[in-house]
Formats: sequence, C-alpha cells, structure tokens
Amino acid sequence: MKGDKLLYYSLFPFAAIVIATFILLFAVISYTSAPAIKEYGWKLFTSSAWSPSEMGPESSKYGLLSPLYGTLVSSIIAVILAFPVTISAVLVIEDYAPPRTRDLVGSLIEVMAGLPTIVYGLWGLEILAPLLKVHVYSPLHQLLGFIPLFSCRPFSGYNILTAGILLAIMVLPYMVAVARDSYRSIPMTYREAALAIGANRYEYAKIMMGMIKPGLIASALLGFGRAAGETVAVALVIGNVPLISSCILKPGYTISSLIANQFSMAPLYPYMMNVLFTGGLILLMIGVIANTVAVIMISKSRLR
Amino acid sequence: MDARSLKEKIFLVTIFALTALGVTPVFYVLASVIYKGIEAFTRRGIGIIVKVNGGILPAIMGSFALSILSTVIGVVLAFVAGLFVAEFPNSRISKITKVASRSLLEVPTVLLGMLVYILLVVPTGHFSLLAGAIALALVMLPYVMVHVEQALESVPQIYREAGYSIGMSRAQVLFGITVGIAKRGIASGILMGFAKAMGETAPLLFTIGAARSSLPCSIMSPGDAVPLMIFQYAQMPQEYYHDLAWAGSLVLVIVFLLVFVIVRKLIKEVKY
Repeated sequence: MKGDKLLYYSLFPFAAIVIATFILLFAVISYTSAPAIKEYGWKLFTSSAWSPSEMGPESSKYGLLSPLYGTLVSSIIAVILAFPVTISAVLVIEDYAPPRTRDLVGSLIEVMAGLPTIVYGLWGLEILAPLLKVHVYSPLHQLLGFIPLFSCRPFSGYNILTAGILLAIMVLPYMVAVARDSYRSIPMTYREAALAIGANRYEYAKIMMGMIKPGLIASALLGFGRAAGETVAVALVIGNVPLISSCILKPGYTISSLIANQFSMAPLYPYMMNVLFTGGLILLMIGVIANTVAVIMISKSRLR
Repeated sequence: MDARSLKEKIFLVTIFALTALGVTPVFYVLASVIYKGIEAFTRRGIGIIVKVNGGILPAIMGSFALSILSTVIGVVLAFVAGLFVAEFPNSRISKITKVASRSLLEVPTVLLGMLVYILLVVPTGHFSLLAGAIALALVMLPYVMVHVEQALESVPQIYREAGYSIGMSRAQVLFGITVGIAKRGIASGILMGFAKAMGETAPLLFTIGAARSSLPCSIMSPGDAVPLMIFQYAQMPQEYYHDLAWAGSLVLVIVFLLVFVIVRKLIKEVKY
C-alpha cells in the first residue's frame, strides 16, 4: 500500500500540469480579452468595423461580427457537405464494402486526417479555388443566380463557399471516426434482429442510423468545432474581407483567420491585441460547448 | 424489379459514390503536392533545400529542432500523465485530468499559441524556438496521452496479476510489465503526436518569429518552421516563393507518409 501512495504522488504532478494548462488557457484568454470588452462593450459583437488607429481607443473601431458570421457560415457549410459523406463512408467501411475496399477506404481516411492542415491550405489556394471558380461558381451563378446564396458574381475563387468546401474535406475524417465509434457500439443482437425481420440493405442502414442518432449529432458537432477553430487553411482561401452577405460566393473572414492575419500588427495599436483575444475567447467557447454537448450525446448513445 | 429493391440499389450506388467523392481529395492533394513539389525542385534546383537565403534550409532546421524539443517536452508530460490516468482510473484527479486532456484535444490550436505568447514571449521580450516548442508540445500532449492510455488499458489484467503474485510492487509491475507490453502502442502514439506537431502552423504564428534569413543558433533565438514558411510564402505575389512553398509541402508530406507507414507497421504487430 505504501508503494502505491509513492507511485501516486510521483505521477501526480504531471497530471496536475495537464489540468493547470487547461485552467491557465481559460484564465489567460479571458484576462487578456477583458480590457477590450470593458472598452467597447457589446459593440464588439454587433459591428463589423475594423479600423485600427494608433491614436487611442476612441478613434479606433473594432467589431467581430463579420468574422463571427464567417466562422459560423463556413463551418455550417462544411458540416452540411461532410455529413452525408460521413454516413456513407461509415456504412461502406463497416458493412457494405468487400474487406479489401474497406481497408483501402479506411487507410485513405486516416491519411486525410493526418495530412498537415497547411498542405490543404496551399492546395486550396493554388488549385481548388481557381478550379471551383471556373468550373463550379460561374455556372452556378448563371443557373441559380436567382437564389440569394448564389446571387453575386464570383470575382475570384476565394470566398466563404470555398472555405466551407475545404473545411468539409478537412473535418470529414474526424466526423467519420466519431460516427464509426458509435456505429461499432451497436450490439450484434440488434443487427441480427434487423436482418431477421428481412430488412434489405437500405432498411438495415436506416434502422442502424436511427439507433446511433446521438452519435451522429456528436460527430456533426465535433466537426463543427474543428471547422470553427481551423486557422491557416481558411485564412488562405476565404478572401479575408470583413463582409456580411447572404451570398456565399462573396469573400469573408473568420475569427481564426482574423487572428492569424492581424496578430503581427496588434502590438502597435492600443486594444487590438485584447480584441483578438476576445475573438480567441469566442473560439474557445464554441469549442467547449460543441465538445461538451458531443460528449453528452456520445454517453447517451452508449446507454442503449 | 420492385420498388423496394430499386430503392436499395439506388441507395447503395449513392453511398458508394459519396464515399468515393469523399476520398477523392486525398488523391488530388497528394498528386498536386508531388507534381508541384517536383516541378519546384527542378525549376529552382535541388540546392534550395540546403540554401539559407532564398532557400528552405532555415525552415527545415527550425522544424527539426522544434520537433525534437516539442517531442521531448510533450512526450514526457503525456506519457507520465497517461500512466497516471490509466493506473489510477478511479481517483478524482485522474478523472479531471482525463476531461482536461480531452478538452485540450478540441481546443483550436491557434489558442495554444496565444497562451504561450502571453506566458513566454511577452515576459522574455522576444520570439523563440523554445516558445514554439512549448506550444507544439501542448498540441501533441492530448494526442499522445490518449494513445498511451489506450495502450496501457489494452494490456490484459492477468499480466499485472502475475506480477503482483510474485510480490512485485505496483510501480515495478507498471514499469516492468505493463509499459513493456504496451510499448508498441505507446511508440505509435508518440510518433503520431510527432507528426501532428510537425505539421502544425497556427501555434507557431505567435511564438517562433519566422526568422528565415539565418539559421537559429540557440533555442532562445527566433526561428522558422516549414509549415509557417509555406503559410507566409503562399501569400507572396512572386512565383519563386510559391515554388518554395510547394517544395516545403513535398518535404512535409514525405515525412508524414513515412511516419504513417511506420505507425501502421507498429499497430499491425500489436497482438496480445
């Protein structure tokens, strides 16, 4: 028993560092953003103005509304695009494909998960965006221009939709991993029951997906959280213009790309650093909320 | 064919098509990086890899130093904290640690860079490789921890009991038996953390200072890293810098694929 205590207390400090890091992260980001919130109040979240000035807080204007909008819209597009692919991939990998195809698709998705995000960013900037502009956006605008989403003429491939598409590609492997975990947790007896009543493969899939609904919601939420926090890849393709428009073929901004672009200038202007940390605080909140709800959903799906 | 089986056919075709569509980008990305990377090296000469000014050597050296430093810091932390969580699963501290590490996994990595900026860069007054390495260590910490925990938990209880039965202490069983059996799983976790840290850009934006005109001389001096170089060169108007960015991407992807293959091999051989 004495040896137990010794082991416990010698490993304990390292665990404490992990906890301390998490608390420090919250504390430092909240503390650093406090002056900006005090100075600008709600205007910080309800305006899109971005005109820094060396003169002082009175003459400089900061608003995070447009980046917040861009973050939410691009992440929602990403999840909407990736979700049906996630469900398909889970069914293909877990049940419907022959073993060799299964392994191949599984490995490809693992490679997708591990590729450095900056590589996706460079590819999005130099290859995907120009390609989408010519082959997708221009025809889309001509054919469906009456829908507000596509009503503006695409001047370049760098816009919110491109960011959403690139993010969809990047978060797909995470969403698949989460959904796969809950799919695997379905007890064999349920699967057999579905097959025993003569369900064909479509009906079987429908029943199984119904059973892991909380897991699927968790996968969408975690995907959303990832997409919202992604920084460099988005900064390269979204266009970095603080706009709010119902047209997703217009450039935009996200909180994380704002932070990436403005951070180096921030020390020169009063309060700018604090404003950027406020953006960081919003990201942290989005991440924590998405994660917490997802964890609750996952534990719910385990109870069955 | 009746309506029911027609529905099934359509459904199957749809899910296979969507899955194929979903994995297509990986081929496209890899093909682009290989093609553009090789094109860059042939156009600018293979020499850019060892050139300091106008080459990618400072970034490669910086990434090399960063990955070693951050792996040392991150792995030690993650390994011991993972041991704690796996070995004392019922203690309250270990439950909190688990929640904290899972939450860190979901925190946008750019925030970890901001944290280190306030805690280390502002007090010391300058950017440094050490600051970057600490930020990267925080990025890899939760990844490695999850793998260490899983590897330890997958060791069957009977091996531990065998150790206890011959009078070994808990620490002896842990380090002599459990860790030994789980070492492949732990090693693959460490490698995956290493790959993750190698490819990260956002935490470095505010920590290492992007000093790319000379080689870093100490861990307290500012430096560069391949992902950061790609990010900044991609935004330059000159064709030359885009080539360097693609060349850097090729280097990154090769390192990543190597690690991926090694991890695959390690995991395949794990059988208890």
